[in-house]
Order: sequence, then C-alpha cells, then structure tokens
Amino acid sequence: MPEAVGVVTHAVTGEARPLPRRLASWVALVVLAAIPAVAGGFWTYSVGVCMANAVAVLSVGFLLRYGGEVSIGHSFFLAFGAYCTAILERQLGLSVGIGLPVAAIAGAVLGVAFAWPSRALSGIYLAIATMALALAVPELILQAGPVAGGYEGLYVSRPLVPGLSIELQRYYLPLVVLGLVVLLLARFRRSRQGLVLLTARDHPRAAEAFGFSRGYARLAAFAISAAVASVAGSLLAFSASTVSPNSFTLSTAIYLLVGTVVSFGSLGLIGALAGGAFITLVPQVFAAWGDWVPIIYGAALLLVITLGHRPAEVLAALRARLAGGRRDA
Amino acid sequence: MSDALQDLLSLVWTGIVTGCLYAMGALGLVMIFKATRVVNFAHGNLAALAGFVVYGLTAMGGGLGWVASVLVALAIVVVLALVSYGLIARVSEVSDLRGTIATLGISLVLQGVVQVLFGADIVNLDLPVPNWSATVAGLRVTSYDFAVLAVSGSVIAVLFFVIERTRVGIAFRAVSTSAFASRVCGLNIHAVQGLAWGVAAGLGVTAALLIIPSTFLSSTTVASFMLQSFAAAVLGGFSSLPGSIVGGLIVGVTMNLFSYFVTSELSATFLLVLMLAALNLFPGGILPQRGGGSRA
Repeated sequence: MPEAVGVVTHAVTGEARPLPRRLASWVALVVLAAIPAVAGGFWTYSVGVCMANAVAVLSVGFLLRYGGEVSIGHSFFLAFGAYCTAILERQLGLSVGIGLPVAAIAGAVLGVAFAWPSRALSGIYLAIATMALALAVPELILQAGPVAGGYEGLYVSRPLVPGLSIELQRYYLPLVVLGLVVLLLARFRRSRQGLVLLTARDHPRAAEAFGFSRGYARLAAFAISAAVASVAGSLLAFSASTVSPNSFTLSTAIYLLVGTVVSFGSLGLIGALAGGAFITLVPQVFAAWGDWVPIIYGAALLLVITLGHRPAEVLAALRARLAGGRRDA
Repeated sequence: MSDALQDLLSLVWTGIVTGCLYAMGALGLVMIFKATRVVNFAHGNLAALAGFVVYGLTAMGGGLGWVASVLVALAIVVVLALVSYGLIARVSEVSDLRGTIATLGISLVLQGVVQVLFGADIVNLDLPVPNWSATVAGLRVTSYDFAVLAVSGSVIAVLFFVIERTRVGIAFRAVSTSAFASRVCGLNIHAVQGLAWGVAAGLGVTAALLIIPSTFLSSTTVASFMLQSFAAAVLGGFSSLPGSIVGGLIVGVTMNLFSYFVTSELSATFLLVLMLAALNLFPGGILPQRGGGSRA
C-alpha cells in the first residue's frame, strides 16, 4: 500500500530534531517531574494514567508510522500486559519490576503470532483481524476463569521499591518508562532497522532488492508495536492499581487510534502526551455527558483526518492570519 | 433419524438462515471496498442507527406503520451514507488508509448519536410477520426463517442482476476494476461510488432489521454483529461478491455449530481464528478469482 505513506505523518525526515523541540521535550519532562509536588492526589493519579496511556498511543502510532497499518485491536496487547503484571503479582508475588519486562517480551511474541497469517496480504486484512482481536479480549479474560478475577478483575498493589510511597511510584514509573520509550523510538528512527521498515513501507520493491520483504517489515513493526502496547498495559495496571475486562473493549482500542491521530501520529514526547491526555481526560471532563464522548472523539478524528494532510498549509494560513491580525492592531 | 443428526440438521438450517444475513452485510462491505478501496468500519453503526429509527417510529410511540418507518429509516441511512462517502472521497484522495481511519471517526459519531438520542439500553424489536412454524421431516422451520430467506434471496438476486446485466452494473464493475481508467473513459466515478455506498447501506440496514428480532438491539451490539459480516467478506477474499455470500453461509453454519458443541462465550475468538486460518489457507479467498475483473 504505497499510497499509505502520509497517513498522519508529515515530518518523517530522518535528521535529528531541531533544538527547540528537544528543549520543549526536556521542559515537559521537568514540569511532569514536578507535578506531584505541586498538585493534589487526584491530579497526580490522573497525570500518571495519562502517561501510561501516552505509551499506549505511541504503540499505535508506531505501527501507523512504520508499518502503515491501522490497528483497532491494541486493547488486546494492553490487556495482555496489564493481566500479565496483575497475575504475576497475585500468583507469584512478583512486582511490576518483573511483570513489565515479561509483558514486553511476551507481547512481542504474541504480536508476531497474530500478524503472521496476514504477512503477505494487503493491510486491510490486518485491520479487520484487529477488530476481531479487540472484540475477543473480554471473552478471553472471562474464559480464563478465577486466575483472571472474572468481571471484578484484579488489584495491583505491590510497590516496585518497598518502603517508598506507592502513590509516587504509580506516578514516576510511567514517567520514567515514557521517557525511555520516546528515547528508544528516536534512536530506532536513526537505526538500520528503522530505515528498513520505512523503506519497506514506502518502496517495497527497493526494500526487497536489499533483501527485506514486506512480510518481514510487517512482522517486525507489529512485534515492536505490540511490545510497547504490552508495556503500556503493564503501566496502566500499576498506576490505575486495578485491571478488569471493562477497561479493554473495542472502544478502548478505537480511542487509542483517536489519540494517535489527534497527536498527528507523533512519536515524540509532547505529541504522545497530548494523545494520552486527550483519551484520559475527555471522559473525565465530560463525565456528566458520557453519551457525547464518542461524538467528541469521532469529530476530533474526522477533523484531523480531513484537515491534517496539509497541516503545513493550514498552519501557514493560520499564522498568516494571526500575523495579519497583529499588524492591523 | 437419530437425535444427533436431528440436532445437526437444525443447526445447519438456522446457520444458513443467519448466514444469509451475514452475507448481505458482507456484500455491502465488499461493494464499498471494490468501489472506493475503503474498509467501512461504520457499516454496523449505520445499520444500528436504522434499527433504532425503526424502533423509535414504531414502538416508542412514533405511531407510524412498519413499512413507513422502514422507508424513513432507509432514506435517513442512505443520506447519511452519501454524506459519509462525500467526506471519505475527499480524504481518500490522499490515501486509502486515511479513508479507512475516517470511517472509524464516522462510526464513533454514529454510535454517540444513537446513545444520545435513544440511550444505551437494550431494546427488543420484532418483525411484523405472522407467528407460524411447522415441522418438515423433523426440522422445525418458522415464518421468520422464510421471511429472512425470501428477503435476502430476492435482494441478492436483484443486486446480481443489476451488476451483471445493466449499464449501472457495468459502470460499477469498471470503477472497481480501475477508477482511473473509468474516469479517462468519461464515467462519473463519484456518482458510481456514491451509488455503491448508498446500496451498501441499504443492504446493511436490511440485514440488521432482519437479525435484530433474533437477538436484541443496543448501541453497540449491531456494530459487533458486523464482525460476522467482516469475517464473511474476509473468507470470500474481500473483493469477490459471490465469495462473500459463500463466506456468509460458512460463517453462519460454523458459528452455530461451534456455539452449540463447544461454547457460546467465545464467538469473537472463534471468528478471529476462522479468519486467520482462512487467510493462511486461502490467501485469495475461498472462491477462485476470475481474471480480468470482468464480472462481479
């Protein structure tokens, strides 16, 4: 699908990011690190969940950017990571420090297993299969029996570092992991493998001439994306302190895609945070108008999709108008 | 006849009946895909909206008759499908993938509209067919079965006649073979694509209205009923209309057997495994593709 190139991506050039944007990321990190000291418990909790969701948004964005594939089934990998962490704690008494790496590795394996059947076919099959995957999640959790806690779900309460305040750990673990994931993805963009995936997406024949098939690229992109999503699930379980089948539905997966699209498919810190905040905070802010939430998400998605393919033009027009306004004033 | 065989026979029969409905849903998805290269994830939500409009006009005190309400619902849905197509045609000029994402946006908006207007409750909606059933050779057949078979059979027959024998059908086949070449030849491809979207929406609504009596209606169930249609379309290779009918029948029968003999609580998982297996075993769909893209 070579025309899938500029889905929501507009700046895929490989140079190191300009200084102001890197500076902005560091400023954002410092501000985030200071939040628990300033804000109350509610905001510490909410922003912690935002950051876990930001990692989830990154996983969907990665697949869109490097694979050119839409997934509405990433709730499966989120749920897998979350339940991995919760079950390891419940059954073996292991903390998230073990649960998170285990989830990442097992998630990558699952990702390959899932993408394998459609490795040589058009991307639409993958998109449709992800829909089935998302709908299968609650069934599978309930089928797993008492180990997975049924409808009520499981609690995650063991601290990563014993002795420190668990509330702070629930905030700082997602922060640290989000920073690491963003750094790793930035490195990946400059790596050989990153180039292979982008070449296979844009110029499949050129990639094949270099010995990399599109099937390989799809499996690799899906494996990495699934691993990141499992990590996000593990973080979500830890910072929200509970997992249940209700938090991993088809809507969850579609909202993740919405988060990715409204962050313009960014794989940077600020974009991911914006996407994570959008999908975490909108349902909280509009709690009284719960039925309107899908409309808000759908409208945001359509707005970005219809206008987003020329963000440069729209921005330029906006800037010109603003500048014009200022000159007039 | 032994009991086991009796069970099997009646499971296959009801599977064929629901399979016809999945096939109708799948035909709509495949038509849209063939005409515009977009996978329409809003198909189920549009059909659910139609179900609720009919429910609102008949049961919720609208006081309209069944035929009138179905016509109103069809009109609303066709208009909405054309609006969706208008939105998506602009977007998918950039890439097909974008168009597919845009259908997800439309599906969210439609789901929200249904929730705002009709609430998130589950409602029942019955077909106005006389309640009648008979036993033929030990097989229990009902008036509902015949209504489904008659409606879906005639709708599919008309659809295939139009596609195979009329100028509109030739135009549709031309656009689905090569939109660019059709435009070069002077076809108004927007009209053809819009028609495909409208007809597909009509098929989806018909299927949904027929399947709702056997389950129930809520803002999310009909959307997931569409999963069966997606599975049928995937089995058929996603660009073959006859293939999606065969796919629909296979999905209907095998799902019935699976939920009776194994478990009824893993239907989405079953469909997932069925799709993945079909993709591996029949990468081109279960029916062999005819070359040249000449026929449906």
